[in-house]
Amino acid sequence: MDSKKKIATVCLGGCSGCHMSILDIDERILDVAKLADIVKSPIVDGKEFPEGVDIAIVEGSVTSDEHWHEIKLIRKRSKFIVALGDCAVMTNVTGMRNYFPLQEVIDEAYKNSVSNDAEGAEPNDPALLKLHDKVVPLQEVVKVDFIIPGCPPSADTIFYVLFEFLNNRIPNLSEVNKLKYG
Amino acid sequence: MQNITIYIDDKKLEVESGKTILEVCRNNNIEILTMCHLEGVLDVGACRLCLVEIEGVNKLLSACTTKVAANMVIRTSTERIKRYQRITTELLFAERNHMCSVCVANGKCELQNLGYKVEMDSIRYPRLFPQCEVDTSHSWYVLDHNRCIMCTRCVRVCSEVEGAFNWSVKNRGYQVRIISDFNTPWGESTTCTSCGKCLHACPTGALWPKAIVQGQLDKKPEIIEELMAKRKMGL
Repeated sequence: MDSKKKIATVCLGGCSGCHMSILDIDERILDVAKLADIVKSPIVDGKEFPEGVDIAIVEGSVTSDEHWHEIKLIRKRSKFIVALGDCAVMTNVTGMRNYFPLQEVIDEAYKNSVSNDAEGAEPNDPALLKLHDKVVPLQEVVKVDFIIPGCPPSADTIFYVLFEFLNNRIPNLSEVNKLKYG
Repeated sequence: MQNITIYIDDKKLEVESGKTILEVCRNNNIEILTMCHLEGVLDVGACRLCLVEIEGVNKLLSACTTKVAANMVIRTSTERIKRYQRITTELLFAERNHMCSVCVANGKCELQNLGYKVEMDSIRYPRLFPQCEVDTSHSWYVLDHNRCIMCTRCVRVCSEVEGAFNWSVKNRGYQVRIISDFNTPWGESTTCTSCGKCLHACPTGALWPKAIVQGQLDKKPEIIEELMAKRKMGL
């Protein structure tokens, strides 16, 4: 059974919508399961990103120190990185804070927001991640091997890419008319 | 008009002189990518997507503003041209804030379609993320500078078809912006007739009516040609 490939899926600075789209491949997950084990994902147990992963599917952009270390670790431990969704590929909605200074964004969310009671306070627990000034797509931090844009990419697109890779073929989104942004 | 012989992608063509390369290509079903070209208004060669190779000329020339000449040898789809088209498209996306998923034009955007055409899966250049204004001062329409690609189709439609001369351009380079009158809020314009032609001329989600929501935009750029024809007939 060692011929089975190992798949990991990770959510960095995203809304988990792309993972919802992964779930939308429905019963076709059985076809994937025949060819691969899902060793790390928000939907399976396990905390740290494991070693020896064949295909790492990463959703979301790099917004903080934690994401930066995570994507570096993913690159070290996996053969192939697939950037999943517009946030991972071109920052998309997460990048919309890039046109303002970070402090202004934090104040807007935690202090000036109309839904705040009293004067509001900035969360500062040491366990929380430290936001970077600018949000960047995955390719600006590590080498990405395959790109699936879309917000979110459709389940058909995700399954097509996975299935091609698991059968040792290189998918081509343009060829099958599956290129999509937004 | 006199007929001349030209060669496009190794195809010999007999064409009328005085036509642009773009016109000839469109008439002969040869695909040329364009963004700033709009049927009904004059061409300015702003977007640089219609660049073609002409034998004997060192630089690439824009098909929309270059007229055919006798025995011209033109190539429209070489690897070099495809490479430039991809670069141009990526730079259009990188310059301002094109967030397709939250844009009114999502799914009906010419820039999005262009991306698919040139097989752009990501943007290789660092994005500028400029702070752009959104002018909502007009009672019915919105001008969102975040989505503008400076094709100037709205400027030309406003002056050439409507004759109102509301739109204009200020600054240069990455600071270039579309302005209403003398850089005043659109809602205060004394020249705008609120005809809405610029909304239909705009290829992206930069100009849109307030009455619509995300992804619901329905633009009809083809009406500009019709309106221009009627204007020429004095209707």
